Amino acid sequence: MELLAAPFDPLQSLATWQARLRIGSPPIGGAAEAHFIGRVRPVASDGAPLEALEIEHYPGMTEGRIAAITQALAHLHDVAAVLVRHRIGRLKPDEPIVLVAVVADRRGPALRCCQEVLESLKHEAPFWKREWVNGCGHWVAGNTPL
Amino acid sequence: MGLSWGNPMTSGELRVRLFAGLREEAGWQERSLAHQSGMTAVAVWTLLNLGGTAPPATVRVAINHEFAALDTPLANGDEVAFLPPISGG
Repeated sequence: MELLAAPFDPLQSLATWQARLRIGSPPIGGAAEAHFIGRVRPVASDGAPLEALEIEHYPGMTEGRIAAITQALAHLHDVAAVLVRHRIGRLKPDEPIVLVAVVADRRGPALRCCQEVLESLKHEAPFWKREWVNGCGHWVAGNTPL
Repeated sequence: MGLSWGNPMTSGELRVRLFAGLREEAGWQERSLAHQSGMTAVAVWTLLNLGGTAPPATVRVAINHEFAALDTPLANGDEVAFLPPISGG
């Protein structure tokens, strides 16, 4: 789990994580992997062109909640490994916000765990988004529909 | 009951934190508050004049980085945070 204050390349992060798992002792692997990459939408919730998205978090609690979420869901779905990388700070449209990856023995647990981790991040990890349009910021009061 | 702004925590105090829209509405992000036996997050909200007699239903409370019920008794040294609607991921 990592919170990132600067832009990141999710595919490079994924490749680095996969390589680390392979060289672990013992190596961690599985026949199924599920990945999710979330990016900043180009428009604000009112449809106006988005200038930037700011993400605030609660230092300490956010990391603790993400660790608890990933551990609980990895155990529940019996998956081999879970990766979460999440941006904080000011992001431009189309920049990656979040990467979730899960390694498991079968596609069902991998896909279910990946989706549940993502939904838990949206609702149970203390992040707040502020949309910036024409120099004005507006706090987002919730999440987009699934 | 004493309030202070930005002072180091001492024994017998609570640290209160606000985030995002709540922080901007209140105009502050962190305060220290003298702890009294039986004090709850609702009492802290009211004492600090954060609006009404209790947080709106959309506001969640965290005590020492864990979600908690509004009526959980607070202890000396606790960190209480009021969290507006979360929007991660």
